[in-house]
Amino acid sequence: MRTRISIALLLAGFVAANAGTVFAQGFKPSKPIEFLTHTGPGGGGDVIARAIGTAMEKEKLMPVRMQVLNKTGGSGATAMAYLVEKKGDTQTIAIFTGLWFTNPLMRAEAKITLKDLTPVVRLVLEPALIAVKSDAPYKTLKDFIDAAKQNPGQLKQSAGSIGSRDWLVRQLLMKTTGASWAYISFPGGGERIAALLGGHVNMMVIEPQEAGEHIRAGNLRVIAQISDKRLPPYPNIPTMKEAGFDVNVPQVRGIVAPPGVPAEVVAYWEDVFGKFVKTPSWKKYLEDNLFDDGFMRSAELGKFIDEYSELTRGILKEGGVKVVR
Amino acid sequence: MEVINGLFHGFAVALTPINLWWCFVGVFLGTVVGILPGLGPPATIAMLLPLTFQMNPTSAIIMLAGIYYGAKYGGSTTSVLLNVPGESASVVTCFDGYQMARKGRAGAALGIAAIASFVAGTFGVVMLMLVAPPLARMALSFSSPEYFALMCLGLAMVVLLAGKSLTKALLAMLVGLWIAGMGTDLFSATSRFTFGNMELLDGIDFVVVAIGVFALGEVLGNMEKREEAQMLPVPKGLRNLLPTMAELKACRFAFVNGSVIGFLIGVLPGAGSTIASFISYGVEKAVSKHPEKFGTGVPEGVAAPEGANNSETGGALVPMLTLGIPGSGTTAILLAAFILWGLKPGPLMIQDNPTLFWGLVASMYIGNVMLLVLNLPLIPLFAQVLKLPAYALYPVIFGISIVGVYSVSGSLFDVWMLAVFGLMGYAMRRLDYPAAPLILGLVLGDSMERALRQSLMMSQGDLSILVSRPISAVMLFLAAVILIAPLFRKANAWRIKAIEEQV
Repeated sequence: MRTRISIALLLAGFVAANAGTVFAQGFKPSKPIEFLTHTGPGGGGDVIARAIGTAMEKEKLMPVRMQVLNKTGGSGATAMAYLVEKKGDTQTIAIFTGLWFTNPLMRAEAKITLKDLTPVVRLVLEPALIAVKSDAPYKTLKDFIDAAKQNPGQLKQSAGSIGSRDWLVRQLLMKTTGASWAYISFPGGGERIAALLGGHVNMMVIEPQEAGEHIRAGNLRVIAQISDKRLPPYPNIPTMKEAGFDVNVPQVRGIVAPPGVPAEVVAYWEDVFGKFVKTPSWKKYLEDNLFDDGFMRSAELGKFIDEYSELTRGILKEGGVKVVR
Repeated sequence: MEVINGLFHGFAVALTPINLWWCFVGVFLGTVVGILPGLGPPATIAMLLPLTFQMNPTSAIIMLAGIYYGAKYGGSTTSVLLNVPGESASVVTCFDGYQMARKGRAGAALGIAAIASFVAGTFGVVMLMLVAPPLARMALSFSSPEYFALMCLGLAMVVLLAGKSLTKALLAMLVGLWIAGMGTDLFSATSRFTFGNMELLDGIDFVVVAIGVFALGEVLGNMEKREEAQMLPVPKGLRNLLPTMAELKACRFAFVNGSVIGFLIGVLPGAGSTIASFISYGVEKAVSKHPEKFGTGVPEGVAAPEGANNSETGGALVPMLTLGIPGSGTTAILLAAFILWGLKPGPLMIQDNPTLFWGLVASMYIGNVMLLVLNLPLIPLFAQVLKLPAYALYPVIFGISIVGVYSVSGSLFDVWMLAVFGLMGYAMRRLDYPAAPLILGLVLGDSMERALRQSLMMSQGDLSILVSRPISAVMLFLAAVILIAPLFRKANAWRIKAIEEQV
């Protein structure tokens, strides 16, 4: 069962090699692992990276420590370029997010794509909620869409940047329903919620963790869940599919390594993370943050990266964003 | 009564030996982080976060908050002594603080900064305790049009920051606005002035510009005068190292001004402590009897911004604790910490965790006292730094600046940018262009553009949204008054001159 095909991605192109447990025993990290994130200390990627590092240590899954390294800049481009510089390095891994797909598609300066790196594992799928203010007239997502259709461009969504998950959800929803509404970018999550709570905008795609307490206090109402299945705290809210909108854009996070990393190293990481995702520390982390376990091994992740890149490319193009590669 | 009960409970929590210890650890680390340029509270808190998993959440938040407000105390040290802003919020402290040091009043400037920090920091905590929930709701009525108006008000301060020539000040401000516009446009995902350079996609870090223009520019300027062996005079005797009664008296209004403005701006999630300290400095200068002396080393010019950036901390905790909304990088990571400890930040947190809230509030009273006690005795010690001969001090400033900038991003590109801005600061000094308006434009440019475009998106392109909302209309009116006032003063001067000539 454990003998499987891993795809090692080399700069020259795809090279498939048979790799398995035989090789997996061949590699063990010898010095602290450099664990790269593109966000600064306290950013989304940084917080998860540190949580993973702490849990790994607690569960004693590795002979060495994981040292978080923040390579900020270029909306992830700096971190990706750094990985390419580290070609073949066996002591470096990085945590990626959806931004690593969209950024190189939109910006000529960001020359490295996820396809240039070695996929290791996919770890997390972050679901989201569509929330409105509790005194808003929209009880369901359909109500909101209908209102948007009646007043094209009048309703507003508070959100992040172009190409982020909230933007992709909006583009897909507008495309499938024919409705349209304004997309107002705020750089910080706090400002987005403040605009919604203050009644300056009508809707927001929000992380469940962020929304939870506002819902409990009666300030916000959830009208749909962007998730495959209903999240435990919201048993009565339909998923997008159940609400009649086949739109599901997960926020994905996982691990990649520099290009040209030997297959035995990939196999080692698959093995470590395969054990890691079964530990109570990680399960509790997912539960606390209402994340879904999105574990996938290297070969599957490689395929996922290809598919997801095409999906985002299509959405970006249709949304009128200039796609540069 | 509820407040008094809560506070008693809070002190009972905060005065336990273990919490006193963590409070001390927090404020001590905060002071150190504040003194070191570059390394800021968000990075420090993120690095210490894994250590707090074993701690009780109340002790942990007491310590992490201590780092947050402690850093604001320490930030003034290098601003005053070396013209190197220790934190982004301390850049305004350079204006008058460093000039005081040049006049041999470094100790006094540091003393005033510490006292202003204490007064305003305590004010911030009192307000956090008394008015947090209603104020947080009011802050929500602030949205993009109001932020745009607030930024306009801030930008109008340029006429107050201008030296001899308003034209030169405006030019410097425009350069600041231009630098602020570099990087990726949030609304269209297009790159601006990146010259195909990946490192410029996120724009240029404020800290790089501030340290370059202020610290390196100053050192390069001073190196020309070879004859001076010592950079600044340091008077002998402890008495001369502390602020005089007259200096403290001059700061009376600045303490109040800094406290109130800092707190109010801190409550707004979309405006930070740098903006608060600029506005407080501007207000102080506007109401001063001797505005022409600002920028030459007046104690009020230190007290107002230092007060504002400390009181801002209490303000920033209001939306974080009452609504779960982070208003700054540091509060965002504190929120992440709450989640990791298994707490649920949000509108019900105070109600659900009274021990944590009141323990934190009480610890902040204690922490502010600790900071004052910790910082005042250090002043004579720090002031001795200036006794170093120039050939030793200048390389130290260069070293601190480079390490500071590198520690923010870990990128050598930023160090090169630091060199560029150092040369620019030197050139500006030689050509008599003021640096403050450049920094002002840089601080406000990005948020101002964003707020304007968000407003216009909300109103579908209708500009009247900016004046039809009362708060925004009032602030825009004030901005216009500040901008026009010097013209009247000038017209009046001409008129008097004309009358005199006729006679």
